[in-house]
Amino acid sequence: MTSTLENQPAPSAGPGRAVREVGIAIIGSGFAGLGMAITLKRRGETDFVLLERAGDVGGTWRDNTYPGAACDVQSNLYSFSFAQNPDWGRSYSEQPEIQAYLQRTADRFDVRRHCVFGADVSSARWDDDARRWLVSTAAGDFRARVLVSAAGALADPTYPDIPGLDTFAGTVMHSARWDAAHDLSGEKVAVIGTGASAIQVVPAIQPVVGTIAVYQRTPAWVVPRTDHPVKPWMRRLYRFVPGFQNLVRAALYLFREFLVIGMAKNRRFLKPVGKLAQAHLHRQVRDPKLRRALTPDYTIGCKRILISNDYFPAVAAPNAELVTAGIAEVRPHSIVTTDGVERPTDTIVLATGFHVTDLPIAEKICGRDGRSLAEVWEDGMVSNRSATVAGFPNMFLLVGPNVGVGHTSMVYMIESQVAYVDDALQTMDAEGLAVLETTREAQEAYRELIAEKSKGTVWLGGGCASWYLDKHGHNSTLWPDFTFRFRKLTKKLDRENYVGTPAVPAQRPEVAA
Amino acid sequence: MSAGTVLRRIAAVPTPDGAVLHAVVDGSDDAPVTIVLAHGWTLAQAAWDDVADLLAPRVAAGELRLVRYDQRGHGRSTWGRYADDVAELSIDQLGEDLGTLIDELAPSGPVVLGGHSMGGMTIMCLAAARPELFGDRVRGVALVSTSAGDLAPAGRTLAEKLQLKLAPGMVTVAIGGARAFERIRQLLPPTNPRHRKIVRELLYGADATEDMVVEGAEIMHATTVRAFAAFYPALGEHDKRQELRALAHVPVEVLVGDSDKLTPKRHSHQLAEVLPDAQLHLADRTGHMLPQERPELVVDALGRLLAAATAAQAVA
Repeated sequence: MTSTLENQPAPSAGPGRAVREVGIAIIGSGFAGLGMAITLKRRGETDFVLLERAGDVGGTWRDNTYPGAACDVQSNLYSFSFAQNPDWGRSYSEQPEIQAYLQRTADRFDVRRHCVFGADVSSARWDDDARRWLVSTAAGDFRARVLVSAAGALADPTYPDIPGLDTFAGTVMHSARWDAAHDLSGEKVAVIGTGASAIQVVPAIQPVVGTIAVYQRTPAWVVPRTDHPVKPWMRRLYRFVPGFQNLVRAALYLFREFLVIGMAKNRRFLKPVGKLAQAHLHRQVRDPKLRRALTPDYTIGCKRILISNDYFPAVAAPNAELVTAGIAEVRPHSIVTTDGVERPTDTIVLATGFHVTDLPIAEKICGRDGRSLAEVWEDGMVSNRSATVAGFPNMFLLVGPNVGVGHTSMVYMIESQVAYVDDALQTMDAEGLAVLETTREAQEAYRELIAEKSKGTVWLGGGCASWYLDKHGHNSTLWPDFTFRFRKLTKKLDRENYVGTPAVPAQRPEVAA
Repeated sequence: MSAGTVLRRIAAVPTPDGAVLHAVVDGSDDAPVTIVLAHGWTLAQAAWDDVADLLAPRVAAGELRLVRYDQRGHGRSTWGRYADDVAELSIDQLGEDLGTLIDELAPSGPVVLGGHSMGGMTIMCLAAARPELFGDRVRGVALVSTSAGDLAPAGRTLAEKLQLKLAPGMVTVAIGGARAFERIRQLLPPTNPRHRKIVRELLYGADATEDMVVEGAEIMHATTVRAFAAFYPALGEHDKRQELRALAHVPVEVLVGDSDKLTPKRHSHQLAEVLPDAQLHLADRTGHMLPQERPELVVDALGRLLAAATAAQAVA
């Protein structure tokens, strides 16, 4: 074996390494990667791999194991339409249940056999001569006809740039990289950040820790969480009454879609939601001073609306403190704020979010001219229908630019995207295309469409800085309209916006031979 | 930067009956002396904010440690065994709480105590229950706008008699209907000028600024109707006039505003009579909220007590 390999010329993708040929390489095995894989599988396509950097499927729901991690969208809606689960234990599931669902779904559709675990992608380059993507991973190299990036937006944690953080002698952990072995009981814990992760982790750890200091830069609007266990008879209805769960799902979908009217159409319609959040805060926090500190100064919806019934009580607990002064520096055993107060600290929890507008995967994917997606996107993320980018042939993005939603299920958007990509792949097969690439014109038109739709939305005009906007202040992450409009837009491949290059049959093998 | 910073930690001190007292500890643990400040009825530790601000440079310089805490049922502190039934609640319980707090947060070294209104009574209760603490551990006491007893109406006039007769029933009604009362109370928040007018007339002297009144009104607004009603009879029952012997062993500073309507100055005169070595200070044009209205007077008094406490330490 060894001698045979040595006698052969080294493959071009990596010296001394075997290269695996595949039809489709999918990066990531979260909701998007699994959704893509299952869709391919269900129509009989099996020539694909899922390149997963970790040791299991699940993506964001595998990684975010911090105490209290849960979904802000009801599970009936936050699940695959083709793999509904009548057995959800709660209306809003917690992380372990969602992760178990993803694992179960992967098994049910026999996707795991296509997974390559430990395959952290270091680069993906388009070889224009071979018309293949060359993907280098920690688990070997791949040559793929089509590249689907399902790496996700909430994948790579952001670490804040706080002076002295690296000198801290205690434990520092990001909420998305939770160390369950670390015992917080009795400790002086600092939580930095007040976003979606923070408001889940704070109430979960507050009863356990010695004391907890929540470092807040901007408060969030919080509305009540209508979470409840699902009654056994309800589960039986879901299981045995055909269409019942679909009906509930549709009702939840429609109800949530009403929020779009307020967020993207006319902000007046957000007023009742703002009133609800204000009443929630008023009821849960008595102290007018603390209430003021927890009241945002921007329009509700500008940043993600959070849902919680136990965050405010946790912040107002006897062992808690809300710190609104900015952090000046971290010392080996303490955090110093700009008001000159130094708080001794044992553990720092960074609930500081993810690289969303600067997706790290974009640095690793290089197109026809050798430039990376990140370089091409220097002036903002552009795409055609959130899925394809000119100069990056045969590449499709899932959960890329302008598909994010703050009000409803991301899985709905993912399924819309998967259908679009699948239609593109089938079109390529049907037309015998070796290469499919979108045009700059289509990209420009889509950018204008997004900019037009984003005008006057609460995300741009709500008076806040959020992770929805890129460094130029453009909305490059959210779909700024009803989600059914996105589904309609991506129902079929817009063939007119693509240039296809037919395969030249039987030419290359002869030359290669 | 390092010299100017104030070390701060939050403490959640459990009491034997299961309450949790919220305290803020400013300053280094190796400071030579600890000040513990107890706030008044329906207030919270924030009532000491102005005093704390004036003390901050000395805290930063390592001269002292400052402990502020929320009394049981106030601020962030919980009710413990009174969560369901407040019938047995007395100021003695608050004295016990203060003892627990000292044991936990200042287990050794000299301590100076400051108490405003019900907080002063809290200190008297601690002195009655644990006199051995006073002298060696507790080296000085500041009693601000407070009383040793005789707060309940005497029942001499018809109005007072009526008040005495109705009060217990009123308390029961108030606790039973706390939620309804809360709702009514929300209709007149501190932002309302009428609310501020009532607060000003009852609690503040002529020189109080509008900011002070708003600040105080907000602190009280954060307190539950339950705390208001539950501690009302306890305050009436408070009588430690015969049990202040322990306080005779330490320097005591008594401060009161001349226009205090809640604990009129006769109560402070009474204290000065029982404690002949106590220094009595009468503040002009000042109401019940003396720590807010005249924080510098409180800080001066604490300063004298601190000097005595550390001097005594040097001799010892």
